[in-house]
Amino acid sequence: MKRSPYDHLRAVLRIARWEVDRSASVVDRRTAALGVVALLVAGGVVAAGAAGGGVALDRDIYRVGVAPDSPYREPVERSVALDARPAEPDAFRAGEIEVLVRDGRVLVANSPKGRAAASAFRSAVRAYNVGLMRAEENGSAAFPVVVVVQYASQSAALPDSVTAGDGDGGAIGGDDGGSGGGGDGTDGSDAGSEPDDGGGSTGGPLGVPALEGLNPLGGGGSGSPAEIQPPFPFGSLVLAFAFLVPMNFVIQAYGSTMLNERINRRGELLLVAPVSPGDIVAGKTLPYLGLLVGLTALVAVAVGGSVVAVAAALPIALLFLSATFAGAMFARSFKELTFVTVTVSVFLTAYTFVPAIFANVTPIALISPLTVVVRDLQPLQSVAPLEFAFATVPFTLCAGVLFLLGTGIYREEDLFTQRPVPLKLLDALAVRVTKPRHAAVLAGLTVPFVFVAELLVVAVLFALPVSVTVPIVLLAVAVVEEVAKSLHLFAAFEADRFPDTRRTAVLLGALSGLGFFVGEKFTAVVQVVGLPELVLGRAAFAPSGIGVTEGAALFLAPLVLHVVTTGIAALGARRTLRWYVAALVGSVLLHTAYNLTVVTRLA
Amino acid sequence: MRDRTDPRVTIARRELGQLRKEKTIVLALVLQLFIAAFSSFLVVGLVSLYDPGQVGGTEVDVAVTGDASEELIRAAREVRGVDARFYRSEASAMRAFQEYRATGIDAVLVAETRDERVFVRAVAPDSNVQTTVVVVQLRDVLRAFERAERADRAAFLASTPLELPPETDSSPYLGFTYTILLPLLLVLPVFISGSITVDSVTEEIDRGTLELLRVAPVTLHDVVDGKLAAAAGLAPVQAGLWIVLLELNGTSVANVVPLVALVAGLALTVCGLGAAVALAAPDRRAAQFLYSVGVLLVIGGTTLLPHGPVTAAARLGIGSPTTGDYFAVAGVVALAVAVYVGLHRLVDRVDADAL
Repeated sequence: MKRSPYDHLRAVLRIARWEVDRSASVVDRRTAALGVVALLVAGGVVAAGAAGGGVALDRDIYRVGVAPDSPYREPVERSVALDARPAEPDAFRAGEIEVLVRDGRVLVANSPKGRAAASAFRSAVRAYNVGLMRAEENGSAAFPVVVVVQYASQSAALPDSVTAGDGDGGAIGGDDGGSGGGGDGTDGSDAGSEPDDGGGSTGGPLGVPALEGLNPLGGGGSGSPAEIQPPFPFGSLVLAFAFLVPMNFVIQAYGSTMLNERINRRGELLLVAPVSPGDIVAGKTLPYLGLLVGLTALVAVAVGGSVVAVAAALPIALLFLSATFAGAMFARSFKELTFVTVTVSVFLTAYTFVPAIFANVTPIALISPLTVVVRDLQPLQSVAPLEFAFATVPFTLCAGVLFLLGTGIYREEDLFTQRPVPLKLLDALAVRVTKPRHAAVLAGLTVPFVFVAELLVVAVLFALPVSVTVPIVLLAVAVVEEVAKSLHLFAAFEADRFPDTRRTAVLLGALSGLGFFVGEKFTAVVQVVGLPELVLGRAAFAPSGIGVTEGAALFLAPLVLHVVTTGIAALGARRTLRWYVAALVGSVLLHTAYNLTVVTRLA
Repeated sequence: MRDRTDPRVTIARRELGQLRKEKTIVLALVLQLFIAAFSSFLVVGLVSLYDPGQVGGTEVDVAVTGDASEELIRAAREVRGVDARFYRSEASAMRAFQEYRATGIDAVLVAETRDERVFVRAVAPDSNVQTTVVVVQLRDVLRAFERAERADRAAFLASTPLELPPETDSSPYLGFTYTILLPLLLVLPVFISGSITVDSVTEEIDRGTLELLRVAPVTLHDVVDGKLAAAAGLAPVQAGLWIVLLELNGTSVANVVPLVALVAGLALTVCGLGAAVALAAPDRRAAQFLYSVGVLLVIGGTTLLPHGPVTAAARLGIGSPTTGDYFAVAGVVALAVAVYVGLHRLVDRVDADAL
């Protein structure tokens, strides 16, 4: 039965309308009432808390013994983290106070906690001094030093967005609101109005500054050195997080509606209707995608993002939805679905949010589309088209592949049975491999996942010394790539798609390796983004021939490698799981050896 | 007829068995471990950016020029990891800054005295890994410089600034571990347990399996109790596990018993609310949504309270408890009992046949 695209579109829209109608009927009066109650309770709690004086996670965690008549009493009482106690030596000896101020001497308990308390005490006294000086008549004596911080580029070897003219990056001090000479110096007074050492609301090292300082150029103040802020785009980060919040809630409803089709065989009606599984999935997804686009646009309007921010948030929304959909296809019960959605939420939120923190520091941050959002929200920052592509394309591709795999098992034998999850995964893969050439296509499609996984490895190991991490990275990369290239072959052999002869296995392995090689070549964009600047980036991506210009031999070497290793894995895959794992270990070792050789030769 | 075991125990066992079979509990633990590891990694990364001492002996070289440079260089000697050098003119200092590969200059300070103040222009490199470190170091130098200049002008001041207590080598992670990581690890199991309760109840309703339970010699009260016991019992166990793990990691947690009691109280409260929402809401989508919005807002909201459960957990864990914190624990336990009683009132009103 061949149907025109127009028929498909009509079916999709009909299902979408039906989904919206059904959802609207769910929200009956009782749910609405319950929702209002929940919001009222939460609102009451927030109001009570606000009356109690703002968020302070570190309230009174250190105790300082200080006499009421001591000059140090007031700074301690003003500080959130410090709790003023009577100055009794006995209490100090008993460990009931960490810092004791007596007769002008400061005693500190000899423990990590004591030292941390002393450091908080020092900050509190410093903040108190600043306040004291503010009250002075004689301004030039109270604040004898006036500082303006400027950011200037030191080299031209970095991509355009990182270097520009020597722009003023916003001055500290209200007298000069950043002349913004076309530069992109990150702003010096971006992290809230509280000075870093303010006795205000800093919660440990991850202080939560008050949000009224979100205006990036509104540093204000005296220009005193006490107010210098490192370039940390705190305000933009908080605003960027607002883009992620609606996604986390929408996927819960979306996962529910998808799993609902599978419970009590409700989805059968849809399956017997003259529509394809793809239409059903697209139709049911459309309303939620539309909702997310609408919410994202609303958030962008609210926080002052541009079209770029919405365009960068869209791939994140797609990946949230696709991962939830795949999870709903695999889950066997509501409980399992909850864990899937929580996992998706946590993992994707972490994966997108954490790199964005380093938006102004390192090119690695561009592995997350949220970095694009953060940069878009900052004045004087721009995103180059190539950087935008680097951040968003892997996400979009991953989402597409997940939808493809999930739709593959949108059929009776998988929808309504309780097959174990690993077998379902093999099913989803095997559905897609019916001809040998599919092996190559599917291997090529795994590249975005491999890319994301490898970038995650690089990002996690980024903080460690290079000598330790390079071998770990190389091994991790080999494991990820070998599994990606051969898992669908194992699935195909398990499902008896091909005769399990040695010749077939070698052929499929070679095709798979070729497909992966072609896909890998597309990742050459890393070069543009400047990842090779990092030693780790080079280690992870050089073996695939990126950034290497030593003639055709090295260009084709990865192809030979992929064909050989996948061939080995395929020979194991045609037998049993045990054989497959054993062959996989062999191919991973070979791959790692190759990677090590290439990296050491390049170094 | 009396069976030897309480029907509630049987149902709780059945719940736990399902969780074990689906391996979801393993996934939950892995997930929490991921969150803990990732947030720690995040802080390590951030601190290594902010605290030059952590990056392994980075030395920041500063070119100093202008008429007040002598005093500025003297102030820079007080700060660890800063090497200040005098340059004769701003142009030569900026050239050294541009040719940093040869000179090693990371930043420029231009200090000029005008009408009784010193105006300092600080030039830092833009957008590279070093920027934050450089700016933090410059700030320390300029603070020391400000203190020295202020002391010179003390005669014109009405009040003298207090002398700063001595600097200590403190771990920047300590505050984070107790104020963010520990409360997070204690609240996460509670949140997940509540989710399990919502799902477990809605699933029985959706699949129509409550019918089967109804023909067994158990009441709806027993069913709800069994489900609550299984879900709410898991949270304190996980919390204890995290505390042990933190101990092994070298972070000693004080007041373990009150902390576990706090988690148990929170878990019973949240699971009870979850069960109530699941019984009252028409389908899973509505129930899960209501539950997660409610719990997130309430737990997020209580962080605002001066003696909310989250800050109480931080103070108990670090070993600075106040009487108010013990009251907070008692209050949460009392709230849990109230929620439990309220839930059974609700069960009385629910018509089991209608489910």
